[in-house]
Amino acid sequence: MSEPITLLAMFEDIEPASEGVEKLQQMGVTDDDMNVISGIPVKNTILGRPAAITYVSRIGMFGAILGMFLGIFLIYGIPYLYPLLVGGQPIYPIPQGIIITFEMTMLGLMGFSFIGLFVDSGFPSYTPQKYTPEISDGKVALLFSCPVNEQEKFIDALKNAGAVTVAPVEARHL
Amino acid sequence: MASYAKPLARQKHAEEHEEDPRQHLMHDPLPRGQMNAMVMESMRETGPIFWIITAVLAAFVVFALGYEWYVLIMQGQGVAGVTRPDYWGVFLVNTVFWIGISHAGTFISAILRVLKVESRRPFTRAAELMTTFGLVQAGLSIFMHLGRVWLTYWMFPIPNQRTIWPDFHSPLMWDLMAITTYLLCSTMYLFLPLIPDLAMARDRTQGGWLKVFYKTLALGFRGTEGEWKNLTTAMNIFAFAIIPVMFSVHTIVSWDFAMATRPGWNSTVFGPYFVIGALHSGMAAVAIVLFLLRSTMKHYKYFIRPEHFNTIGMLMLLVSMAWAYFYFNDYIVPWYGGDIWDKLFQEYAEEGPKWYLWYTMLICNIAVPWLILWNRKWRETPWLLALAGILINVGMYLERYIIIPVGVTINRMPFTWRQYEPRIEIPMTVGTFAFFLLLYMLASRLIPLIPVWEVQEGQEAHLIRKIGKAEISTLSEME
Repeated sequence: MSEPITLLAMFEDIEPASEGVEKLQQMGVTDDDMNVISGIPVKNTILGRPAAITYVSRIGMFGAILGMFLGIFLIYGIPYLYPLLVGGQPIYPIPQGIIITFEMTMLGLMGFSFIGLFVDSGFPSYTPQKYTPEISDGKVALLFSCPVNEQEKFIDALKNAGAVTVAPVEARHL
Repeated sequence: MASYAKPLARQKHAEEHEEDPRQHLMHDPLPRGQMNAMVMESMRETGPIFWIITAVLAAFVVFALGYEWYVLIMQGQGVAGVTRPDYWGVFLVNTVFWIGISHAGTFISAILRVLKVESRRPFTRAAELMTTFGLVQAGLSIFMHLGRVWLTYWMFPIPNQRTIWPDFHSPLMWDLMAITTYLLCSTMYLFLPLIPDLAMARDRTQGGWLKVFYKTLALGFRGTEGEWKNLTTAMNIFAFAIIPVMFSVHTIVSWDFAMATRPGWNSTVFGPYFVIGALHSGMAAVAIVLFLLRSTMKHYKYFIRPEHFNTIGMLMLLVSMAWAYFYFNDYIVPWYGGDIWDKLFQEYAEEGPKWYLWYTMLICNIAVPWLILWNRKWRETPWLLALAGILINVGMYLERYIIIPVGVTINRMPFTWRQYEPRIEIPMTVGTFAFFLLLYMLASRLIPLIPVWEVQEGQEAHLIRKIGKAEISTLSEME
């Protein structure tokens, strides 16, 4: 079996790109071996691709729980360490507890969602990557792997599907 | 049998109101590369006037927030106008004012995103920047009010040198937690949709420190399916979660006052009244910023159109009505209740030495928006909307002035009553405005203020469809 090669097919629009995806699927390229790179988010069903999995919301929920416990510690742990009677209020007040716990829960949720984006997307990434600046100018790219000895067949198929260019791509510094 | 039909409108009148959907940004698309080029060009083509204004602002910031603050710290709060009973003066007015301004970014960006209001797309970032830069001014103002800023760490949840821990029973501590949460979250929320535009700027910058700047902040974003999925998921979480935080922040700011049993402050309606007040000044500030951006930035007339001023104008009118409703609630209950101290406070505000502030506030906050913003043509006139925005902000600043320094003048010990006159507070207040403008001007040269990818996304989703004799705008769900 020959070595795999990575090709980058450039499309002017979403419509031919989805045709290209379908062609690759018909030619036996698995969904794991291709990726669509675009300048705007495109629904996976438009492209005929399986939904991308994200852990951002789960990481965010974990942060929310962590934040909630931090809030509970601040409002109830600190008076335990330094009891202070104020205006006849209880040392462990529930109304103030709701305020502080709410703020810390939301901070945890959003802070960890932000971190989750970094973790799940592998950000920051300053190593060389397979990319072309034309993507941010509106073109849609289809990045996929195929056997070297069959690359001409793939190039022809994608050009028939509407690709402007199909060429081997090397990782470069962004 | 002859049919009878009552004419619904004169022909000429009907034609006047017929609108071509192509005049809307969403139906007037340009190639993405061209839009990118326009935004980058607007950042790079800077004339000498821009740098002269920047230098003047920077010099004033150094004077007001550097030298004057140094004087305040070295000589103490005595150089300010605060003294018994007015210990809460203009610095706190500024804090509340700037937090109010900061609410517009979240409101515009998060609520309009959640409600899928399409006309938000080109100006969300301009509004989000106001949140972050407004909170910076609010933070500085509260530190000015603190006086001994180096003891700020006493509010951190650690024991200080006297083994005293902070007291979370106090509304001031709730404030610290809420404002910190809001500042951190709104800064992250500003950054998230900026990542694809930073990647665009990285791709269009050749060498130099700017390339390093964009490359670093773009984090290696390419636009793969996984990256978009993660980014849009995070943005959705932020859009929903930051709304209750926004409401909580100004509610808690209002509790700094309402939890005290002072006349004029101890009101159960203060929370929502403050939130609406914040939105009132914030929306008005967005109108001013959009007018300035459209007038000064190259190509922005393509992105920011009369339709956007119309959207902002309608929101301003709606918020103005809501503010009037809450103000009336806050006014009539103590007026009817007959408590002597509440009565004295109201009389002092309306007939006392600062009576003109009260009337100006009502004119600016109610009469001005109601007279200007009911008319669509006027709402779509940028300079007029910006003028209304300036007057509303004058009104909202006066409202905070009446609540805080005028409010603390009238207490239950008449022998302490004294007229508050700001002193060093005046240049320092102007300094916060100068600093806000300076940050905004510098940001306009560094980051794309138009979220180009969001504009393109909207344009891809919009289509003009012919139904019967009319062309109708339709919207598809793209993400």
